[in-house]
Order: sequence, then C-alpha cells, then structure tokens
Amino acid sequence: MLLGEEEQVLSYNGEVLIFQLSKTKHVEGAASKITKLSVRRMVFDRDTKLFIQKSSGLFNMHGSHLEIEMICCSCTTDSRSGIILPCILMKKKKRKNVLKYLLLLLHSSNQFEQSFHFKLDYELKEDIRLFTGPSVLWRHANKLFYISSDTCTILSASVQLSSIVWAGEIEDEGTVVLGIRTACLPESEDEQEFSTSDGAIWGSEFFGYAIETQKMITGTCFMPHAYSRVVSVCVCKKEVLKKQLRISVVAVTHKNQLIWFQDGLPKGVCELPYEKPCSIKTAVTSSNDLLFIVSFASGNTCAIWRDSFQVASKWQKVKSVLVDDFIGSGTEQMLLLFKDDSNTDVLSTFRIIDFGEINYASDINYKEDDVPTAEGLQENGLLMVQALETRLQAGYTSVRELQHHLRLKKKVILESCRALIDLVQERSHILPTTKKEGLVSLWDDTENPLHSLNEEVSLTSKVTDHFIEKLWQRIVDDRLIVGVKLTEPFNLSLGDVSLSLVMDQDFTLISPIIECQNKIITLNKAFSALAISSSQIEPPPKKMKLDFHSKNDVKKELHKRNLKIQLDGAKTFIAVTSLSPLLAFHSVRCTVLLHAKKQKHQSDSLQKSKKITLLCGKILLSLEDILHGKYSVKMLRDNSYCTGSLEDILAVLAVSIRFSFQIVSSDCTLTPVNSWLLGEMECTPFKECRDNLFCHKVGNLYGTVLNWTMKTPFEGVLTLFCRNLTVLFQCLHSLTRVLPPSSDIKLLRSGSKDVLTDQLALALEKEVLISRNSFSSKENKAENSLTWGNETGKKISDAPVASFLDSEEGVQQFRKKLQNEREESMLSMNQTMNGALYQEITLKIAEAQLHSDMIVWRLSKS
Amino acid sequence: MKRRRRGEVPEPGCLRAWAAESEALAGRWRAARCWGPGGAAAARQQRGAFGELLLRMRGLPAALTTLPLELTVLYNSLLFAMGASDCAINGEAEEIRQGLLRVLEACGASGQDLSTEELWQKVLQEVTVEELQAPLHRLGALQGAWWLATNRLGSITSLFRLLSNAEDPGRAPCSGGKNELLSLLKAWRVPAEGDSVSLVQSAKDLKEILCTAAAFLQGLQELEAGNLPAALSLLQEAAGGFCSKRVLAQIYTCLSCCTRQMGKPQTALQHLKRALQVDFQCLPALSHAAAVYHELGETDAELQALAVLYEALERNPPAAASTTPYCLIQTEHLVHTPALASLFRHRHPSEVKYLLAQRCLQDGRVADAVEHYLDFLALLQDGLQQQVPLDGGSALPRIPEVFLEAASALEQAGRHQDAITVCEEVVSRTADLIPQTLRVEEGPEQLECPSPGTELAGGPLSQKRESLCCLVWRTAAYLHQGWAWAKLGKKKEAITQFSRCLEDLLRVQLYRSGVEPTGSLLPEVKLLQEIRLLSLIGRGTQFLELGRHREALLDFQHGLQISPGDPAAASYLVQALWKLNRKQEAATRWQKLSESPAEEDGQQEGLGRCVARRYPLYLVSCLKQAAFPHNESLAGNIQDYLRTTTS
Repeated sequence: MLLGEEEQVLSYNGEVLIFQLSKTKHVEGAASKITKLSVRRMVFDRDTKLFIQKSSGLFNMHGSHLEIEMICCSCTTDSRSGIILPCILMKKKKRKNVLKYLLLLLHSSNQFEQSFHFKLDYELKEDIRLFTGPSVLWRHANKLFYISSDTCTILSASVQLSSIVWAGEIEDEGTVVLGIRTACLPESEDEQEFSTSDGAIWGSEFFGYAIETQKMITGTCFMPHAYSRVVSVCVCKKEVLKKQLRISVVAVTHKNQLIWFQDGLPKGVCELPYEKPCSIKTAVTSSNDLLFIVSFASGNTCAIWRDSFQVASKWQKVKSVLVDDFIGSGTEQMLLLFKDDSNTDVLSTFRIIDFGEINYASDINYKEDDVPTAEGLQENGLLMVQALETRLQAGYTSVRELQHHLRLKKKVILESCRALIDLVQERSHILPTTKKEGLVSLWDDTENPLHSLNEEVSLTSKVTDHFIEKLWQRIVDDRLIVGVKLTEPFNLSLGDVSLSLVMDQDFTLISPIIECQNKIITLNKAFSALAISSSQIEPPPKKMKLDFHSKNDVKKELHKRNLKIQLDGAKTFIAVTSLSPLLAFHSVRCTVLLHAKKQKHQSDSLQKSKKITLLCGKILLSLEDILHGKYSVKMLRDNSYCTGSLEDILAVLAVSIRFSFQIVSSDCTLTPVNSWLLGEMECTPFKECRDNLFCHKVGNLYGTVLNWTMKTPFEGVLTLFCRNLTVLFQCLHSLTRVLPPSSDIKLLRSGSKDVLTDQLALALEKEVLISRNSFSSKENKAENSLTWGNETGKKISDAPVASFLDSEEGVQQFRKKLQNEREESMLSMNQTMNGALYQEITLKIAEAQLHSDMIVWRLSKS
Repeated sequence: MKRRRRGEVPEPGCLRAWAAESEALAGRWRAARCWGPGGAAAARQQRGAFGELLLRMRGLPAALTTLPLELTVLYNSLLFAMGASDCAINGEAEEIRQGLLRVLEACGASGQDLSTEELWQKVLQEVTVEELQAPLHRLGALQGAWWLATNRLGSITSLFRLLSNAEDPGRAPCSGGKNELLSLLKAWRVPAEGDSVSLVQSAKDLKEILCTAAAFLQGLQELEAGNLPAALSLLQEAAGGFCSKRVLAQIYTCLSCCTRQMGKPQTALQHLKRALQVDFQCLPALSHAAAVYHELGETDAELQALAVLYEALERNPPAAASTTPYCLIQTEHLVHTPALASLFRHRHPSEVKYLLAQRCLQDGRVADAVEHYLDFLALLQDGLQQQVPLDGGSALPRIPEVFLEAASALEQAGRHQDAITVCEEVVSRTADLIPQTLRVEEGPEQLECPSPGTELAGGPLSQKRESLCCLVWRTAAYLHQGWAWAKLGKKKEAITQFSRCLEDLLRVQLYRSGVEPTGSLLPEVKLLQEIRLLSLIGRGTQFLELGRHREALLDFQHGLQISPGDPAAASYLVQALWKLNRKQEAATRWQKLSESPAEEDGQQEGLGRCVARRYPLYLVSCLKQAAFPHNESLAGNIQDYLRTTTS
C-alpha cells in the first residue's frame, strides 16, 4: 500500500492498521537518532459509523527519519507458527551505497519483531513481493532474488526475466513466481508451425518458477504467451474442480483491459474506464459475487463484476482500497479511502461498500451516490432480461407452431394436387412416361434388310443436294457427334426426324447400324439486345392511355419475334454415339441416313405420316485424323467473345446435359448472377450466339455452356449445358454463394412455366379451332335442307340486344328469336353425317386434345 | 536463455484460436441467415460476438502476422454494426481509424494526428506487406460505403483512386467523360476471398452495392443540380445495379422525376409504372404519377391515381422497412440526401384527401369535391391536428381556407344551408383573433414577402399578417354566407351578412407613408379589397331585388370606386340607374362600358381575371356569382331606349 513515505495502511482481520513513521518533533537537531514506527489498530464502529482506534504500538529504530523508509507491507504467514501476521519491510540507509533492509512482524500484542535483515548495494525498486515465511522477493537487473526468514541469505534464481507478474502460493508447487521473459525461439525445425505461435509473433513469453523446488512451470496454463507483452499484473487462483486442475487468472494490461483467463484461454474482456491500471484485488461480497477491484496510477479505482464482466462502479481520488470484513458480517467489503486535502487523517473520508446491503460512508454527500442506482439498475436489468427471455421463448414456440401448421397445410395441398392430377390423368388415359423433349426414339427398324434400304437410298439420293445444307462431325471427349443441317423450306415440312449411322464395311459379326442418340438443337442467332436505350425516345401518349392493350401489343410483338427467331434459328439434327467402339476399326466409313415423316398440309392429315429416308452423305473416321485432333472442338477466347464455329457449339451442346433453373429473388435484384457468370465463372459469350456463354474456367467446369435470361430484375432462367452431374453441382454450389439467400432456385423439368402456359393456350386455341373448322366443313358438306338464319332473324341479330329489352314488344321479339334458334339447333342436331368425315373429325380432335393434355401434364410436373 | 526442448508440442497460439473463433462465428451467421427466422436478432448477437473478439485482439500489441485476421474481424463486426443501424454512425468511422492506426503501429509508424483521408493515403502507400493488401482493400470498401453514406464523394473518389493505383499503377483509371467514381469502383479489383478468412458479406457484394449507391447518389445530386442528362444516365446505371426492390422502385421514381423535368411526361409515367410494378409499397410513385397527370391535364387519371394512393395509405400505413438479414449493408443504408427525402416524403392520408377534394373542385366536379371535403372535415374532427404535417412540403393550406373551400363546394352543389354552417365555423373561430383596428402601413419594407419559414416566427409584421389572414377568412366566410342566403331567397339575411362583411372590412386602416402605387400593397390587403367589391356587388343585387334601387346604386358606385373597371359592378350600376329611371345616365354609362374592350366576354373575363390575379380557390364561386347575368336583356333595353331617343 503505497500511500507516501510516512504512512502505510493494511487491513488485517477486519481491522485497519495504520503504520506511521513519526517525525521527532520535540527533540530538535542532530541529537535525535531514534525514529519511531507507530501502528494504530482501527475498528469500524457500526453505531457511530466511524473507525475508532482500538489499540496502538510503537517500534523504535536507530537513525533519523530521513534515513528510514517504509517500503511495503503485507500480511504473510509466519512459518514458525503458521499464523498470518502483518509484516512491513523497512529500508535504512547505512553508509554510502549500502542499504539495510529490515522485515518487521507485528504481533497481536502490538509488538514488532524483527524477522530478518539483509544488506544490498542497490536499491530495491522493482517487483518487490512479501510472502510466506516471511520472505522477500524482488527483481534486479533481469534476475530474480529472494530471501526468507529460514535462510536469511539472498538467493538468486537461475532465470532471466523482464518482470514479475504475480507471485503466490500454488498447491503442490509452493511459492510460484509468474514472470515474463523474451521468447526462446526454437531451432529451424518445423518453423512454419512456430511462425504463427505467440512467441514468434510477440517475442516474449510467460514462465512459472517454483521457488522451493526451483522448477520451471509452463506459462501457457496461466495465460497465452501473446499477453506477455501487455499484462502488467494479475491475480491467480488454482483450484481442483472435479479432479481437474483449473487455473483462473485475471490480469490487467497496458491496453487498459481486464482479462479473465481460464486454463490459459481468454474468457472475458472488460474495457477499463481509466488508463494505467496498476493493481487488482478480489473481493467476495455478501451476495456471493466476486468482484475485481482495479486501482489505477492516477488514483482512480473501479470495481468489476466477475459474472457479467461489467464495471460495477468507479471512483476517483482514491488513496487506497482495502478488502476485508470490516463490519463483521462474515463476508468481505471494500474500504475506499479517499484523498482529502483538508484532513490529514487517513480514515477521514472513507466508504465501505459491498454492492449489497452494506454501504457506509463517512461523508453524507457520498451516501446517495451512483452506486445504489447502479445496483438497482443491475437488478432491474436482470429482471428485464428474464422477462424478455420468457417472451422470446413464448414467441419462438408460437412461431414454431405456426411453421408446423404451415408445413401441414402445404402437405395437404400438395396431396390434393397430386390426387387431382391423378384423377385427370386417369380420365384422359394418357400416361406419357418416357417421351422426352428433343429425344426421339432410336430407329429400330432393324428387320429391314439393308439392300432394300439401299434401294431406297439410291432412289432419293438424287434430290439430296437440295435438302442437305451441311453434314459435319465432331469429337468431344469420347463421343462422336454427327450433325445434319437441312435447307429451310425442306426442314419445315418434316416431322419426327431421326438420324442413323450405318457402317459401309461389311462386318458379318456386327450389326452395321451404330447405336446412337438423336437430338435436335435449335440455336438462336439473334442477339439479345435489351431495349433499355429505347426509353430515350418519348413514347406516344396513346400507349399509356390504353395501357392493357398496349401491353398486349407488346406481347404479341414479342411472340411474333419469338416465332421469327425460331424460324431464324435453323434446326440441326444430331446423332451422338460412343467413339471408342468405332476406333477399333481403325478407319470407318459411315453412311448417314435421315428418317422423317413428311408432313403435308393439314388438308390431308390422315395421310401425312409418309415415312421417308434420305441419304445425307458419308463420313470418314480414321484413327489418324482423330489423333491429330481434326474433329476436335476448338473454342478460343477472343477479347470478350468466344469464337468457335457453329458446329463446335452444337457439338458441345449435343453432348451436354441440359438443365434449366428458374431463379426468383424476393427482394434483391439478380445482377450478381451476371457478374458471377462473367467474373467467377470466367464466361464469355459466343460470337455466333451471344445469349450463350462458354465457361473458360480451368478445370472441371471448362466447356460448360450457360445461358442466363432475365425476365424482370428479380426473375430469370439459367440454363446449364454441362458434361455431367458433378459439374452441375459444382456450378450450382458456386452460384448459391453469390445468390442472395432470399432467392429461390427451381429446376424446370420441362420448360419454363410461362412458356408451357403459352403453349397450352395455343393448344387449346387450336383445339377450338379444329372443332369449329371441322363442323363448319361438315355444314358445308351437309345438304342445304334448311335455310340458315332467315331474314327476320338476321335483322334482329344485327340490332343490339339491349334495345330489345326496353319494351315489351322487344322482349317478345327476342323470345321469338330464341325460340327460332332453339328449333334450328334441334334440327341441326338431328342431321346425319358422312362416316368418313366423322372419323376424320374425331381423329383431329383427339390429336389436338392429346397435345394439350400432354402440355397440361408437363405443366403439372414443372 | 533456456532452449525449448525438442519435440515439445507448441501450445495453440492466440492467432489460431482467434481464427477458429472468427470462423465459427461466421459459420454460425451463415447458418442463422439461411435457416433462422430472427435475422435481426442473430445479427445483433453476431455483432456483439465479433466486437468482443475484436476487443480481445486489440488487447494485444499490433503484429503484422495477426493483422490480416484482425482487419477481417473488424470488417465483419463493422458490417454488422452498419447493417444494424439505419444510417452510418460516427462510431464506425472511429473503428476504421483505429484499424488503420493498428496497421501503422505494427509497421512502427504513427498517425494519430492525421485525418482519416491522410491516414488511408499513408497506409496504402507505405504498407506494402502482401498479406495485408486484401484485408485493407476490403476495409477500404467499407470506408467507401461510410463516406458514401455521409455524402463525402470527394473522399471516396480519392480513396478508390489510391486503391486502384496501389494495385495497378500503370493504368489510368479515369476513362474520359464517364463518371470517375463509378469507373473507379468498377475498375477496383475485389481482393480474392481466401480460404482462411470468412466474411459475413463478400467484398463482391459490397462492390456491387457501392456501384449502385454511387450511381444513385450522384444521379440524385445531378438531378438536384439540374444536370438532367447526366442525372438520367447515372440513374439508369443505378437501375441496372444490385439493389433491393425498395431501392429499385425509388430509382425508377427518381428516373421519372428526371424525365419529367426533361419534358417527357410519358416516359416519366412509364418509369413510375415500373416503380410500382417492382414495389407497390413505393407510394410516392403514385403521388408523382398524379402530379404528372396533372401536368398533362388528364384529370381523370390524376384523380384515379390520388384515389388509389389514398386507399393504399389508409389500408396499410407504410411500415418500417424490414431489412433482409442477408445483406448486412444495403444500398438504402448508403443513400441519404435531402433530395431523396423530399422526393419520397411520406404523404399523410389527409393530405391526399385534401388534394382529391381540391382537384375535384378546381375541375368543377362539385359532387365529388363535396364528398371529399366532407371526408376531410370528418378526419379533422377525429383529431387530425396531431397528424397533419405542417412543414413546408405539405400540400395542405391553412385549415380555415379548407373550410372556405368546402363551403364553396357545398354552395356550388346547391347545399346552401350546409355552406352557411361551415362558414359559421370560420366566423366563430376567427372572432377573437382580429383586433378592432388594423393599421396597415404601405411601405417598401412590407413588400418583401417573408419566406414561409419565417412567417410563423412571430414578429410584429407576421403577427399583423396573421391578423390580416384571419380577417380575409372571416370576411370571405360572411361573403359566402351572403351569397348562400341570397340563393335561398332570403334577401334580408343575405344583406345582413354582406353588411357584416363590409363592417369587418372597415377594421383595416390603410395609411400611406408616401405616394405609393397601389401595386405595392400586401397580397392580403388586395384580397380584402376584392372581397369588399364582391360583397358590395352582392349587397347591391339584393337591394335591387328588394326594390331598394337607391341603396343598390350606392353600393355599386362604391364598388366601382374600389375597382374602377370592374364590368360586373359597372353593368349592375347601369341596371340600377335604369331601374331608377335615370335612363339617359344609364345609356351613357352603358355606351362607355361597351366601348371598353373587355366588355364582350363578361363571364369569361371574370374567370380569366381570377386566374390572372391568383384568386384563392374559395373565392372563385363568389366571383362567378357576382358576374352580371342579364347582359343581353339590359343591352336590348338600352338599345331600344337609345333608338327611341335618337330618332
């Protein structure tokens, strides 16, 4: 307790001991060679709420008071009796450069006893500690020295240290000193491991040293080495909890933090309210809370709760803080001694507080300070938190219930949907299961003898040149892709197109027909130039007025454009087959045949399914060419575009699996997708069709083709053409990281919902049209036995209906007309019909219905 | 010094422990973001946890090895802090500063007394440690966000200039005429996100948000400054950027304002439509649409828009924006300008109701106007005073004027008794507010109209003006009552009201400090003169009907004294003279009157005049009533008379 040179305060057994070096006042001059050390035992009186003197003692020392100083005082165990006694370290200047140090013990009879003394040629300055024995421990010139009453000789420890952080008793180890020294870096072995270690980073470390056993203890069980650069002082507690040794350390740092370590790990940090903390004390208060009391060099003090690690209270102008049971309540209290310039007595201005019920102050002004309110606040806060927690819990459970409820509802709805779909499907009796878009079943007409086929080929080969625009082949991975592009007018008249590859060589053992997969790919050539710039031109006002109509107009236009694009993007028929079996032949010549149904115009639809077979040409596959990469796909990166021939693109698309995902974001715009494509995926658009992007990312993803179309800033469709599912998952995984989590990704199995809806509408429209057309054709063919719509009826039907209802006469007329119509319809219902016509109509309608049913089925699946 | 024994396992250092903790926190956040319902609560918790970790890290001296992690933790904790608050707080700037100082501390430099801008310069130029570049750049993006939020465009521009230079000193980032900040932001290469660090919001996101916010903010500034083409291109840029629905709707609305000011109302409407399609909660778009329709003169559409707006406002009062937990920082956190606030001023339903009523009345849809006015008055009864915004931007006039307008509407709808009741309210309310005599000095110092802000400040002048306003309202109310009684056929009552009006008007004492042209009168005083004229004409007509021609003549003469050229007063005067059998006099007067060019379009002229003189809406109906109705018959009579006398 550094209070100045003349006074030291110590708490002992609930008493306050005040040590004082008395100046010899009455004896003037050099004659006085005796200095008196007095001690006063002060006890708190609960009645007067003041400290009163219980007893006092005196100790005479030779030497003037100018030569004698009190260094420090503490309570330590006397090893002879095992009793804790107050002790005080005194310094006495002897001769030049020689200093004598005395350790005095104070007995309960107020008698001082000189325990031991030692002489030094330097001054004790740094890290002086008094502890059991009593003994004294200090540091000088990076060395640790100690002396005890048992040995009475100064011993030095064989350690280098830069400061002592703590010294105290630890079970089994005896007195332990926790010190800081420069980190000893290991030799070159596993350097990487050490370069990130605390010692390597901060350059110093903790170490423990047991004085009795002269043993080193590793410092990390107290604190991480990193803190050796900042910790100035700490308190430490070692306890055995559930048979496990636990070391709790609470330390203050130069960075003005109070840190609590448990088994060497930081568990809590508290920012201190003042700068330069210099000591910590602990106090267990009546409410069984542990408090840390931190004193600062500036004379400020603050108390911190252990549990919440929050500052409980802070005080300024504090001379000294003592912790003991001053009022005899059984628990500890804090005694704050305040600086008071007007009063020289140490105990003139004080305060006893335990943040519970006890709060005594010498000064009335201090009584109603911030502390009770802070305490009340703490309690209120706790109650508040409890209440809030309960509410939170209740809210959480109700939310959970609601979610559960929602899930149930969703389930029920899903179930009913499924039931409905089943019902519909059952009734319609069509359960298309295997047919997939763009995948036509393999030509399986193997029974056809080859020569007859050849005949057919020779028949048609003359016209081939007119129909075939291009025949090409490519090799991607281990697959051969053969593509046929037909000229446009011819293309339109065909349906159910498929390709087949027939080997020219006659291998008796093997079927000459090569098994292959057929695909039809339509590539849009049109550039997707979004018409943002068009808004620069002021639109005509009319458009706004008729908003809905204009919207429809736009839609129609779009629709038209779509159709046009589909016309523009020529269809290519592609056959994909495995390459490796063919390689076995070293060199193979194949004939490419195209099978199709020739469609004639609707007038004669019964006969439309006329099968034709076209010889498209021959392809030659030689191992040499393949090894030289003649047919391999070449995609180059040219500026911001990917250049590759159209065939290359088609080949890549043909071997890929296509997946479409609808991405909807509920809140944020989907611009990250675009930056993801161009950035992370390193995609570049094809020069030929800029909608599609080619992924240049090195690795698995290379060669993936992506297509991103945004419908609104919050919705779009991402189509992926990837080699295998792993690539797909890789893409999706990286995509999900850029997408806002509020967005929703949905796999579109069979086209987007909107497209399907449009298709359905078209199909239904077609259905209606067919029935109308067929019936009108029937009408034309039927005998004109009845004159439809006689004169009067026509006349009436011309006038608006509303005018009829104005008068009674009008109503009568209307009724008459209705009667007429009813009769007419009755008559028409009884009409007879040609059987063939009926058959045709039924077939047409059934076909149309089948088509629309199929779309409905797909829609229901999407 | 003791050597570490070989084979001893190094204890896990703080750095690794911190990295693991940071990773765990980020992981927990990601999980909470995906599954948890309480995003905001999770964010708050995470913010605390990151802050605590940072506190612990800062408890140790700065070291180059630990700084990358420390800066990352700082970045994460700042993201939570900025995302949790609606706008940037000063604390965050201080945190970034602390981070930079720690970097300098680790490098053995100091910069306590530097400004943040200088600090950035120093750090980016002097710290060349490779591992620190990525975290520093990320922190730079956050600093940029903060500067954007506080409208410090200069600071962010120079920061990003530094960031790009540091990365690629050879390339000049500015590309000609394009916006420098935007091109700098776009050119900024986002540091790669290593495996060792977990960010709660990626720097890529932040970059996109910065781009959008920068474009939006600058667009708004250009819009304010009147550089419309620049504003347009910036706002269009912003509309293509990454943002939430709410912000996109706001951007579209701003685009509409821009195009509207460029004279393209149709484009403006399309932008507004888009705004509403994106976010129907963007109700200001509706009121902007109403304004555009008003400009276009499409009253039907305008009224419809206002009605929809009213309905929407009534049905769901705009809730506080619920921030999605995904983006900790969003564009809305970064764009704060007064211009935006005024563009998206939240209109009160009562305001919209009034606008509806007023527009109906102006357009002559009297029945609708009456309905709306009555609705509004009902709202007023429900204690509207607390709710009505009375700031400068409000569309509401002073409440007595609304009453008078309502009375005017009622009167035009033929509900005279109701009109009288409404006017009575105005009369009774203003009774105590008008002093017995009001001396109004004509002088140049009164000419300077006080600005709206100072008007309510309460000097002697403004107090006088306030009294004058009260007088205007009171006399106008009497005037309305007079005409209403007249319409009801109760001439005596009508005369009483007109007389009361004239009596009150006498309270004003004009005295001239010098020879001043009448043009320098206060607008209220001019209005009072008009009311006087209308009131005199009104009383005169009633006297005429009662057959008290002489009194009528006097009133009309007084009226003509106030406004010498007034055709209505002059015509009535002729009629009065005629009825008094002073036919010769009447004829000469009439001849003089018909010679004046304004004679032909009597009624039209009256209405035209009201527009020209800026009549308040509530006086228009009185003006119409004061017009002389029997022009043809009187002309015929007089011409007959002239013919007989000359022949």
